Amino acid sequence: MKRITLLSLIGVAALALSACGTPTNVSWPGLTADAETAYLANGSSVYAVRVSDGMKLWQYPEKSAGQVFLSNPVLTPDGQILVGSAGADNGIVSLDPATGRENWAAPLVANNRWVAAPLVVGETIYAVNNNGTLYAGELATGFILWTLPLDNSLWSAPTSNGKLVFVTSLDHTLYAVDPQARAVAWKTDLGGSAPGSPVVSSDGSTVYVGSFGKKVFAINAASGAIQWAADVQDWIWGAPVQDGDTLYAADISGRIYSLGTPHGKNAWPELQPDGAITGSPLVLPDGVLVATESGTVFAYDRTGTKLWDVNVGGQIYTTPVAAGDVILIAPMKAEFLLRGVSQDGKLLPWEFTGK
Amino acid sequence: MWNEFILNPFTNVMLWIYDAIGHNFGVAIILFTILIRIVTWPLNASQLKSTKVMQDLQQDKAWQDIQKKYAKDREKLAQEQMRVYKERGINPFASCLPTVIQFPIIFGLYGSITHALSTTPLALLSLARSIYPFLNAAALIPLNSKFLWMDLGRPEGIPFPGDFTIGFLPHGFPTLAIIVAITTYLQTKVTMPPSASSPGGQSAAMGNMMSVYMPLLLGYFALNFASGLAVYFVTSNVLGVAQYAMMGRVNWRNLLPGGQQQPASGKKK
Repeated sequence: MKRITLLSLIGVAALALSACGTPTNVSWPGLTADAETAYLANGSSVYAVRVSDGMKLWQYPEKSAGQVFLSNPVLTPDGQILVGSAGADNGIVSLDPATGRENWAAPLVANNRWVAAPLVVGETIYAVNNNGTLYAGELATGFILWTLPLDNSLWSAPTSNGKLVFVTSLDHTLYAVDPQARAVAWKTDLGGSAPGSPVVSSDGSTVYVGSFGKKVFAINAASGAIQWAADVQDWIWGAPVQDGDTLYAADISGRIYSLGTPHGKNAWPELQPDGAITGSPLVLPDGVLVATESGTVFAYDRTGTKLWDVNVGGQIYTTPVAAGDVILIAPMKAEFLLRGVSQDGKLLPWEFTGK
Repeated sequence: MWNEFILNPFTNVMLWIYDAIGHNFGVAIILFTILIRIVTWPLNASQLKSTKVMQDLQQDKAWQDIQKKYAKDREKLAQEQMRVYKERGINPFASCLPTVIQFPIIFGLYGSITHALSTTPLALLSLARSIYPFLNAAALIPLNSKFLWMDLGRPEGIPFPGDFTIGFLPHGFPTLAIIVAITTYLQTKVTMPPSASSPGGQSAAMGNMMSVYMPLLLGYFALNFASGLAVYFVTSNVLGVAQYAMMGRVNWRNLLPGGQQQPASGKKK
């Protein structure tokens, strides 16, 4: 009896200890889409969902092997879906968008979590891992070609201007990596962690990036010199988005900024709708859209005047994605995993619950 | 409630220590564990004192006579026990109360370590919101999780040579988990009081079970959870033995073969 009591107490203590810690593998939905199909990584699964009616087309894996997805899936130009996992295997897999079956013989495996989505340039995958390393892999097979240790945790998808690969890091640094030399070409201090991706201007000459240093930077892509640094009022989590001569950015206090790309000055009055914004803004034909932690989507025209808002529900941390005329929203803590919103702010009549 | 009064204050104190000592999270965990031990010293001392009183009572002839006399009448036994407690001014729950009070502290310490290490986006967002304004959060994040050979945010393990792997040890040879298990065993053994270590008694059986299960449990935690927790376990075990030693309650004989059969000769207060 005493033995059972003691074991029960130890069990309760173990449960309590487990419950008191911050969960280490809680998902952060990842979303990408083409005009007809949404690819959602949520929890331990990747789903393909038909955008027109929210029907599930396939689910990967069929049986969970203990992995958790924290990163966006990526649609590659040659028709693959790449998605990296955390948890059991820490592998990037290549999936067939039509069937959800694995393409490669083996995943691209690291010894730590994939939080960032990979980048594909030509026949090469560039993927950054939570272990602080940039991996270059073969797109056709996932075979690792070379690796480059950077520094601290790397959580954001790399970007490229065709010559250099740009990587932001939680260690306050923007790295420019020369893939030919397999070395860091330059690095620039961002004054704070940067969990969002850098954005390359359309002519490839400038890199825009926000950071926890409460700044958005325009950085010369060739040299790493800071062209301008715009002060914002709180930490920038998501990547800024360029729309012509405007750069849209949002902070975790929920403020939205419309910065002129030549100088970094904010053209809008203070806009702070209703909750933290961790995803990137989404540029629409007639304006820009943001999704907040409060579960609401707001659309503004290019002067900062609100066009519409709609409460989707849950908490939205993931960047909204456009699939044709539909805006896809993947919230957390909602009764569904994915919803669609029309471009005039109407909720579509389907909810994808994962079933 | 839990976050406001326990988790966030603990996390911020640990981050303050981390900032003050030059961004070494391993040392911050050790110093924070020492701080917690100092703050809870009176509780531990009170618990030890009450435990001693109860142990002395177990050896008392009148108490043992009551146990024998009313062995088959639990109700009467309970009444007699309460009478003895009352006569001698003993509170039977006095040794439990400090332990109960310490539970939130232990869980808070555990939670604050995992909270501060925040290895996922959601955890980082939570951490960012819980850092008090007197700390420069932007400068502190990300925490330097490297300590000695470990990444404190991940389970510890020294990689096996070459491509050699063992399925249930995915992180390599679990050095720290073994150290946790050994120090937990040592702490459980040497802090086991003489009366509890005498063979045959219920206390001895409980003590022996604890000395087996606790090292296994904490070793399992160290094997699978962030190694920052294992650093806390080791520090806490060493400090626990040190505190008992300073109070003259360490029973080193329990480590010797057959040592449990001999009375302890340690200094007693």
